[in-house]
Amino acid sequence: MKKLEGSLVSLLFAATAIVGVAYGAGIRMPPLASRHGAGIDAMLAYLLFTVGGLFLAGYLALAYFIWRGVRRSAIGPRLATRKTELLLSGVLGLGMAVIAEGGVLAIGMPVWQEYFAAAVPVDAVTIDVTAQQFAWNVRYPGPDGKFGKTDPRLIDDTTNPLGLMPDDLAGKDDVVTLNEIAVPVNRPVRIQLRSKDVIHSFFLPNFRVKQDAVPGMTPEVVFVPTRTGDFELACAELCGLAHYRMRGFFHVLTAAQFDDWLRLQSAANAKGN
Amino acid sequence: MTTPFVAGPPHHADPAPGEHAVGFIRRWVFSTDHKIIGIQYIITGLLMGVAGGALAALIRLQLGWPEHRWMLLSHLLPNGMPSGVMTPEFYLAVVTMHGTIMVFFFISYVLVSGFGNYLVPLQIGAKDMAFPFLNMLSYWIAFLSAAVMLASFFVEGGAAAAGWTAYPPLSAVSSAVPGSQMGQTVWIVSMALFIVSFTMSSLNIVATVFSVRAPGLSMMRLSLTVWSYFIASILGLLAFPPLTAAAVMLLLDRHFGTSFFLPSGLVVANKLLPNTGGSPLLWQHLFWFLGHPEVYVLILPALGIACDILPAFTRKPVFGYRISVWCLVAVGCLSMIVWGHHMFVSGMSPFSGEYFSLVTLTITVPMTIFGVNMLASLRGAKLQLRTAMLFSLGVIALFGSGGLGGLFLGNATADMQLHDTYFVVGHFHMMIGGVTLLATFGAIYFWFPKMFGRTMNETLGKLHFWFTFAPFFIIFFMQHFLGLQGAPRRYYAFTAYDYLQKTRGQNLVISIAAMVLLSGQLLFFLNFVWSLFKGPAAEANPWQATTLEWTVPSPPPHGNFDAIPIVQRWAYEYGVQTVDGDFAVQTVASHHARVTA
Amino acid sequence: MTAYSIAGLKARATAERDVETGRDVAQGFSPATLREDQVRLGLWMFLGTVTMLFAAFTSAYVVRRSGSDWRHVALPPMLWVNTIVLAASSLALEAANRSGLGGGWRAASGAFAAALALGFGFLAGQIAAWRQMVAAGVYLPSSPHSSFFYMLTGAHALHVVAALGVLIWGAAATWSGDRNRRAWAARMGVCRTFWHYLGAVWLFLFALVSIY
Repeated sequence: MKKLEGSLVSLLFAATAIVGVAYGAGIRMPPLASRHGAGIDAMLAYLLFTVGGLFLAGYLALAYFIWRGVRRSAIGPRLATRKTELLLSGVLGLGMAVIAEGGVLAIGMPVWQEYFAAAVPVDAVTIDVTAQQFAWNVRYPGPDGKFGKTDPRLIDDTTNPLGLMPDDLAGKDDVVTLNEIAVPVNRPVRIQLRSKDVIHSFFLPNFRVKQDAVPGMTPEVVFVPTRTGDFELACAELCGLAHYRMRGFFHVLTAAQFDDWLRLQSAANAKGN
Repeated sequence: MTTPFVAGPPHHADPAPGEHAVGFIRRWVFSTDHKIIGIQYIITGLLMGVAGGALAALIRLQLGWPEHRWMLLSHLLPNGMPSGVMTPEFYLAVVTMHGTIMVFFFISYVLVSGFGNYLVPLQIGAKDMAFPFLNMLSYWIAFLSAAVMLASFFVEGGAAAAGWTAYPPLSAVSSAVPGSQMGQTVWIVSMALFIVSFTMSSLNIVATVFSVRAPGLSMMRLSLTVWSYFIASILGLLAFPPLTAAAVMLLLDRHFGTSFFLPSGLVVANKLLPNTGGSPLLWQHLFWFLGHPEVYVLILPALGIACDILPAFTRKPVFGYRISVWCLVAVGCLSMIVWGHHMFVSGMSPFSGEYFSLVTLTITVPMTIFGVNMLASLRGAKLQLRTAMLFSLGVIALFGSGGLGGLFLGNATADMQLHDTYFVVGHFHMMIGGVTLLATFGAIYFWFPKMFGRTMNETLGKLHFWFTFAPFFIIFFMQHFLGLQGAPRRYYAFTAYDYLQKTRGQNLVISIAAMVLLSGQLLFFLNFVWSLFKGPAAEANPWQATTLEWTVPSPPPHGNFDAIPIVQRWAYEYGVQTVDGDFAVQTVASHHARVTA
Repeated sequence: MTAYSIAGLKARATAERDVETGRDVAQGFSPATLREDQVRLGLWMFLGTVTMLFAAFTSAYVVRRSGSDWRHVALPPMLWVNTIVLAASSLALEAANRSGLGGGWRAASGAFAAALALGFGFLAGQIAAWRQMVAAGVYLPSSPHSSFFYMLTGAHALHVVAALGVLIWGAAATWSGDRNRRAWAARMGVCRTFWHYLGAVWLFLFALVSIY
């Protein structure tokens, strides 16, 4: 009875690990669509493999000790020597440090550097995204390449959601859309993030892009889409009642399609005005 | 020399002189006895845990069956679920309160304050805490704090809804979300009371360990339980004040027009706010400066307790005691300088991100060593799978899987994808949810005989373990992978996105597992209440364990020890032969059995 | 914690050594000073948490200081008077301690009364300073600097109120007829530590809000 129970508990942990790893191996992330995302995926893959291995090894060791332990009638050696203790701690502590820190230094940091520290490429498409409860206001600078000035005092959710100053000429040709972002493929995209009210987070699951939009700050994200298609933009920071459906659309188009799209939006804007 | 070293059977009929003099109120309600206060904390915490568990059930009902009409619940909760479907405002309030209650009012009360109060004086051979009156005061403030938090469901706008992290501006502007009307203010008041209470309690534990250890009980003879409470209490003392400061500033921003956290040009609900120049990130820094040490305040006692339950059922000393102690100290120090790993994508400087990433991952070193020491303690064991032991084994398992998940989140590059997704939810539930929960149950099964003089039922206890570990693991393991698929946390439903459609089936499985987990807890409560009145009488030392609490009758009399015990050895003298058996309690003199440390 | 370790930890360390040599350990234990050691230790830990509180306020101040809207408001000159009053109170407390140790209970009682009166005077002065600010049209939300000023002085004043309670407890021992010299000195130690600490915090806060 005691042995049976021990075997069952042992099996519980062994099965947990084996089924767990098998389950995890079958899960896929959203298909990748950005250049730096490959680096993030490499980081995740490295972690999934090493951590998966450690997880399996640890649980199987636990299962073995239980299976063996209930069958013993007397304890083994009572105390390990100080040397054994230090050796085990040293080896495993160091091994873990190598796995964890080594991963960061070898794979993680270069990606982080590429993502944050690189200078903004000159050919980048600049887009201003202003989050609000519960929508993404998207703005392109238009042919002059300049964004018009805004003033929060002019904001009105229905007529002027961004608070554009009507007498600023730079703003005349700005292209404004709601929840729709289009970008050309294989060209750097530079997103300037703002928020009108609370903290939101600009999350493009396929592009491995996530950046909080904090009111009072204008963080930027720069990345290169590598696949055409229609993707989704989600909010990843609790922002209120409709947080779960603050959905945007992110279209990656060919260069020609992008120009057409921008012209179309511009015309729609003009009609709206 | 055949007199056992531990006390004989309990002598209930023979209370210590002086006990007759105190009335019911002084003895059971406004008691200054650390054992009564500990039990008060445990009972209060368990009741709060029931509330937190009920909230978890509501969350899982919504996420598993997002459009289902629960007609029965619509009668119970006419405001939150008017047509049987939860409203988003109620969902956010439920999520916020579930987190707050579980972190601060369940685990903190039962595991940290409850068992801390009960065990520390007994294990160090003291008659009571250093400041018994302060101790009573801290319990009653804690009680008040819990009552205020529960009351917040009934104020205008409902309970706070900005998450347990309460990030402003969402938590600061009343028009941003209904819970930020009165609910958030009540939340702050309750947290302020909690902090006062917890600070007093931490101070008491540190002072007790410092000043009233029995003669002979050097720091390096303390049990890992006492060590973990000691470190956790120091962390509590240092980490909570910044949250106090932040809460004061949030309160002033909310009600007195200041702009600590509110920047210029905020337009909420189509209205321009007058605030200027504040910094929302300031709150996050202050909050996580507390928040990260706080998770160690919760998890260290869980690990310490698991370490002390292990040897009683392996019948041999723990592996690497001294190294484990230094790991606790190292983790305590490191936990104060890593808070920024909660803010990798917050807009904080990327260089800080690199720093926080590197220091965060150094924590894996002492934690790995600690975990491996726990695992290695099982080597060569003569294992007895009692209920408390099963839960300790569960602690080792969840600590392993949860800790390994931390490698992803401490890594800034990986965190870019995983931040604020269900990966985080799965990770912290494994750690401050699971490790602490299993340790709490382990502690209850282990010390219940000491506390109440009766033993809990083993069959029910073991069933309870199976119904806890298995569903718990399924729920939170799967949530890690929801996160990898990009499912953000704190979503009312996963219906609005195409890419999340395939997670709906997984959420259904998780919800079913959650219902199994929650109903499994009925076994525990049944066992607890039944054993309290009908359980078989417990001996002084039912597990043949070595620490000082097992040398006194079950339950221990007022004042614990007739005479202050004189400690002769460390807390893990198993595998040596004495008249008691294969162990020597800490008071056994060196001429009866060899002293290891 | 230093004050504690001198008396308490040494006693305990002796006790431990004694166990190993098998001598009577109870001798190393001094229940008479245990309570005082504990109180002193508890006080130092409490001051540790208070330090963390003001450290948090200070770092918030430094962060907020870099905001574009930071504007210094004029602080009332009254604060200089309050500072002198608080310093004088600390000096009076020291005088009370010295007199008491020398057996001069009358002088000690008088000095303690002066310390208490000056302490309450400081509080009254702080309130007067607030009223002057309000009269000048500077309120809590007027500017980030004024927000911090009211908040920091308020938080400090709350601690002063608590410390005055402790001072009254010390004064009671000084004024009463029952004079156990050692217990009295221990009580004085608590009063002095707490009170001088709050004086130091005030000097720091005053410097922070006036200079930075």
